[in-house]
Amino acid sequence: MIEGTLLQAGDTVLLPERIGDLTGLDQFGLAGELLAAFIAAFIIGNLMLAMTGVAGPWAKRKITAAFTDRIAVNRLGPAGLLIIVADSVRLLSKENIIPENADRPAYDLAPIVVASSALLGFAVIPMGSGIHLADPEVGLVFVFAVAGIASLGLVMAGYSSANKYSMLGGLRAVAQNVAYEIPLVVTGMSVVIFTGSLQMSEIVAVQNQPLVDFGLFAIPAWFAIVNPFAFVLFLLANFAEVGRNPFDTPEAPTEIVAGYQTEYSSVYFVLIYLGEFLHIFLGGAIIATIFLGGPAGPGPESIGIVWFIIKIWGVFLLTQWMRSAVPRVRVDQLIEIGWKGLLVLSFANLILTAIIVGIIQ
Amino acid sequence: MSTELERDQQETGVEVTEDELEALIGDRALRRDDHLNAPGFVIRPDAVQDVLFDLRDEGGFDHLSCLTAQQYEDRYESIYHLKKYADPTQEVSVVVPTSVDDPVSQSAEPAFRTADWHEREAFDLVGIDYEGHPDPRRILLPETWQGHPLSKDYDQEQPQVVTLAEHANPIQPDHHDEESDTMFLNIGPHHPATHGVLHVKTVLDGETVVDIDPDVGYLHRCEEQMCQQGTYRHQIMPYPDRWDYVSAGLLNEWAYARTAEDLADIEVPEYAQIIRTMGAELCRIASHFLALGTFCLDVYGDFNAVFQYSFRDREVVQDILEDLTGQRLMFNYFRLGGVAWDLPEPRDEFIEKTRDFLDELPAKITEYNNLVTGNEIFQVRCNDTGVLQPDVAKDYGCTGPVARASGIDYDLRRDDPYGYYENLEWDVITRQGCDNYARVLCRMEEVEESAKIIDQCLDLLEDWPEDDREIQANVPRTLKPDPDTEVYRAVEGAKGELGIYIRSDGTDKPARFKIRSPCFHNLSALGEISEGDFIPDLIASLGSLDIVLGEVDR
Repeated sequence: MIEGTLLQAGDTVLLPERIGDLTGLDQFGLAGELLAAFIAAFIIGNLMLAMTGVAGPWAKRKITAAFTDRIAVNRLGPAGLLIIVADSVRLLSKENIIPENADRPAYDLAPIVVASSALLGFAVIPMGSGIHLADPEVGLVFVFAVAGIASLGLVMAGYSSANKYSMLGGLRAVAQNVAYEIPLVVTGMSVVIFTGSLQMSEIVAVQNQPLVDFGLFAIPAWFAIVNPFAFVLFLLANFAEVGRNPFDTPEAPTEIVAGYQTEYSSVYFVLIYLGEFLHIFLGGAIIATIFLGGPAGPGPESIGIVWFIIKIWGVFLLTQWMRSAVPRVRVDQLIEIGWKGLLVLSFANLILTAIIVGIIQ
Repeated sequence: MSTELERDQQETGVEVTEDELEALIGDRALRRDDHLNAPGFVIRPDAVQDVLFDLRDEGGFDHLSCLTAQQYEDRYESIYHLKKYADPTQEVSVVVPTSVDDPVSQSAEPAFRTADWHEREAFDLVGIDYEGHPDPRRILLPETWQGHPLSKDYDQEQPQVVTLAEHANPIQPDHHDEESDTMFLNIGPHHPATHGVLHVKTVLDGETVVDIDPDVGYLHRCEEQMCQQGTYRHQIMPYPDRWDYVSAGLLNEWAYARTAEDLADIEVPEYAQIIRTMGAELCRIASHFLALGTFCLDVYGDFNAVFQYSFRDREVVQDILEDLTGQRLMFNYFRLGGVAWDLPEPRDEFIEKTRDFLDELPAKITEYNNLVTGNEIFQVRCNDTGVLQPDVAKDYGCTGPVARASGIDYDLRRDDPYGYYENLEWDVITRQGCDNYARVLCRMEEVEESAKIIDQCLDLLEDWPEDDREIQANVPRTLKPDPDTEVYRAVEGAKGELGIYIRSDGTDKPARFKIRSPCFHNLSALGEISEGDFIPDLIASLGSLDIVLGEVDR
């Protein structure tokens, strides 16, 4: 079914080149290329922000409502969709209250760091239908590195708000991210052992080879199918990475009010929330790319972006499901699970994978 | 001294031990001052600890149920209402008079920890000083309050200036001790997990709770004084609905009804008692569902399904209660000597509806057990956290599900029967876990027991002969109990032992009306059960105590 999508890894035409081609900007040398790249980044950035815009005020409400036996927004527009507009106006027109003792500019920078770090990660994600901004050889490492910057934003927010709840939330965020990023990356590395490359397009291409071919249809070699253990580990670590139940301790609304974001209001609040949702989507994008075959799916290659977005939303749905149904672990238990459980398992997975791959080759 | 003892053989609830009691207290009793519910001994203010220790250790009176303070023309009086956890019908009142000029009485805190908060309240509202009290501060009113509102010389007109207490300012820098590196944190009065306006002054060492000081009184509405200004017959009954206002209204009303009926010697018709029993248990179910939902809110975080599920199921109970009483929250359904009206017509429909609810209940309980108590993360969070040892629970006067989850087999519905409970088949649930998990399970199982009670009540109501449906005893329009009669009675509320003390002075209004709130006692044990735990456990423990600030602050 996906014969057509079989790799031309190195030869993928990236979005900026394509735009340059279409608009004729590539005739203007470096300046033209830069402009094309900006346009491409603008398109992808807006796509992601639009998704977040739908997710935050509307989809999240509808999803949790479905889980908790409610109806949620239904007054504005069809299925309450226009609440997105109303909420945007509401959130942006509120007064931005800044605590007197806030440590500026750290206080102001934190929301930007949180939001932009997650957005940056999408640069190297191949989303199908030719939407792929850049394809560096160290793509996977780049994504992890950029996503990791978000922790810095959380610490800045927590420390600079001059609020004890924020401080506690900030400290929890660091402890959690340190404990869970290592298993996350190590599990990601087990995929690299299969592919032999950190390049995103290469990782996607390898997964699209058939694992078992039945002639009429084939089971693709998605790493979620090849190594389900790693997939589950990664999913779990990802919950902690994006701070959702059962690992939402940095925010822990009933314990420490709202954690690091307690003091943020108005635009800053929107930015932090935007960052959180982008982070969930980025987590979904990484999972889709390295475990679920990226944009692969039935149908022509040109609708790859649709499959990709469906996969991201699948992960988003899962986070909301967990939030509705699973209790939050205590902060010390969280650290314990991270260091004593996931870390050990992820290394075991890495070594086993290495041995198996070694034997096969 | 014994020649001075005034004896009133008529009103002796516990004749068996009375001689022993007299022997036990001996010379320290100045005279007798018996109450309707218990023999009373008047003792000197400097013998309080002595007598209470003896009563506790040798008499077995291990439950300081309540402390009532009041002012007469010529004296102040503190009444310690003692009971036994093993048998709450055995009661004794220790009356401690102090002079008006120098109202100093010995503190009972060394004998009963729960006297700590009670004596603070007595000092705050009435103005009695307790010598040797470890923490003689106001409790319900602000620290800067002038005067004691329930004392005779209190000036209602005096303007009060309530300044912002400095140490409660959340913006100021950390409260570091010079040598320690702890952090002071205000949890509440506005906080997502304090179930109302509770302010917990917390000292943290990292995430560990080192010390807490619950600051209550934000919701103090002078309920006792308002009851003192209402007439027995009709004006007091609406107030109890406002104490534990989350769907436990009928249970509260019963506390007042029982006390006042005992005071005025009113016999309630059997049929009305069955309706009362059914209504009260419906309230208990609603209240326990809410307790489960809010506890899960504390453990799961917001947007969790359990909270909504529990509200969905509680809604059915609320509808039934609305059909029965005409109200959803402030029922005002009980009357002295009966209830306001019979079951709603058509009766069959009401009984059918209630039965439907009972039929669906087991499936819902199973759902909760699958979703909540069976969840491993939930168990890891709740097992062995918020541990309340039985002896500590008794020391703090804990009752209700909180005590029963610590293995204390104490339920007034069985041990001090009232209403129709003694004629019905049901069990008192106890658990040995002593932790948050045990408290949750205890409430869930109590819901099932309540369902059994309601089911039996419905059977009785259904078959009750039509011409014998007497819902109201013959009670005079204006009720004036005999002067100088005192009574303390308690019922098993949703949160525990809800007691009321009334002293009549021959008028149609009580001279003193004192409420013994179960939440007040349960909350006072919070420090004991959460110090040394982490913040999340503090929040969970607070949730599992299931307090309602309306009842704590009154």
